[in-house]
Amino acid sequence: MSAAVTLSLAQQPEHTLVADCIAADRFASLGAKQIAELPVVHGGRRATLGDFFKVRGERSTTLRIEGDLARVEGIGTAMAGGEIVIAGGAGRDVGVQMIGGRIDVGGDAGDNAGGARPGASRGMAGGEIVIRGSAGAEAGARMRRGLVVVTGDARRGAGSGMIAGTVVVFGKAAAGAGRFLKRGSLVALGAIERPATFRYACTYRPPHLPVLLRYLRARYGLAVAEPQITGRYARYSGDLAELGRGEILQWVAP
Amino acid sequence: MKINGVPIEDTFAEAFTMRVARLIITGRNAKWAREAAVKLTGFATSVIGCKCEAGIERELKESETPDGRPGISVLFLTMDKASLPEQLIVRVGQTVLTCPTTACFDGLPDVPDRLTVGKALRVFGDGFQASKLIAGKRYWRLPVMEGEFLIEETFGMQKGVGGGNFLILAADADAALAAAEAAVQAMTNLPGVILPFPGGVVRSGSKVGSQRYKNMIATTNDAFNPTLRAITQSQLPEGVNSVLEIVLDGTDVPAIEAAMRVGIRAACGPGVRSITAGNYGGKLGPHHFHLRKIMSEVGA
Repeated sequence: MSAAVTLSLAQQPEHTLVADCIAADRFASLGAKQIAELPVVHGGRRATLGDFFKVRGERSTTLRIEGDLARVEGIGTAMAGGEIVIAGGAGRDVGVQMIGGRIDVGGDAGDNAGGARPGASRGMAGGEIVIRGSAGAEAGARMRRGLVVVTGDARRGAGSGMIAGTVVVFGKAAAGAGRFLKRGSLVALGAIERPATFRYACTYRPPHLPVLLRYLRARYGLAVAEPQITGRYARYSGDLAELGRGEILQWVAP
Repeated sequence: MKINGVPIEDTFAEAFTMRVARLIITGRNAKWAREAAVKLTGFATSVIGCKCEAGIERELKESETPDGRPGISVLFLTMDKASLPEQLIVRVGQTVLTCPTTACFDGLPDVPDRLTVGKALRVFGDGFQASKLIAGKRYWRLPVMEGEFLIEETFGMQKGVGGGNFLILAADADAALAAAEAAVQAMTNLPGVILPFPGGVVRSGSKVGSQRYKNMIATTNDAFNPTLRAITQSQLPEGVNSVLEIVLDGTDVPAIEAAMRVGIRAACGPGVRSITAGNYGGKLGPHHFHLRKIMSEVGA
């Protein structure tokens, strides 16, 4: 057993590399050789994780991944526990349908982070994903439970179709953010292109946000400003085309 | 043994095992946190009549609370497991939920025995309530006219100690009160301890049962009443004309011992004739706080 398993990208994939076998909880019972033999799909062809990554350590729920992972998709798919720390950015589908644990992406993430598999009604159902950069389209889409944090901008459809849970965007949230949201919260610390189907409720200090933002600062070292913790937020209820029990909380002022 | 010339009797306080919860109440400022805490812990001096014992443990700085606001920590004790959640649900619902700007957090997060206080109170939201899971803890957001009330879903419950005490025997009422006030001042804000009575002081210490009334479970402690010295089996030394009692509840034995140590030392002032303690012969309560043993640990 090691303190952590480290995957270092040794062979840059020429095509999309679907590596949905990478999940911290799954590695808890696997030796280095078994990890290297896990199946991946490279450009539609079967391969193994060891064909692309050098594996160090074994049998740990803490996983570190190094290298340019822009073409690596599905990291942390359906993960139930443990922690993945990605040194840089990652491709699409990070933490798709995960149900527990933490994924810390050190750079930008591709589309559908914390989202659902194609055709699935539910996305992420638990755990936390922190993206220390910008997120692609539909971050946290159809999320049932959990937390997705984007320290940069989020492209279209962040939190769209959410059933519950929380998406926090520090930068700009592009069009379609929160669209068809049933319940759950989209916290916008920057600008947001709000759907017309959200209705303004009030401007106030949501008491859970200081707890959440202080946690993000303490646990992940995120640069949360004190005015964001103590400040006021405009609450928009929506999506009124759906249940309307969700909300967009937009930071407005200290 | 004497402290500042005041004899410390060779006796012990007899205390009971109770169930305790710690609540952290925060507010926009210390005033509003305290307003809620004072109401929450009102009419909670003794399980004899109030069914619970509660008090303010200490003030908390912004850095010590989950939401970064000023706070008050409160200890709540009952004799059994079942009545603690009952008391908390009723009291938090009527005093903290109603108090402007406040939020309510669990102060015993590592305790496995959980009371679903917030979960019970969430229904005040009439279906408009929402929950949030933050750092593994579930919180409930209840919509209220002011905005929102935030409360943790569960609160920890553990075994505590109730009924630690010492008696201040003084030459007159003024000296007894001055000594009691000094003791309370010294014990204020100590961790793990509350003084549930008014101002931390009891003037009407009681004995178990009654000599005359069958239905009374506690009546005046005539052995320590100066006005009854001539007609009862008084335990008051000569020159004692007033007695006040300090009652302490806490999270554990060491916390109560530490508080008694500083409290007794502070009480040994002018006009105090001796310090003693209340017990039932050691047969009822499992916790015995021997005054001289406690005080000897500070080299008195």
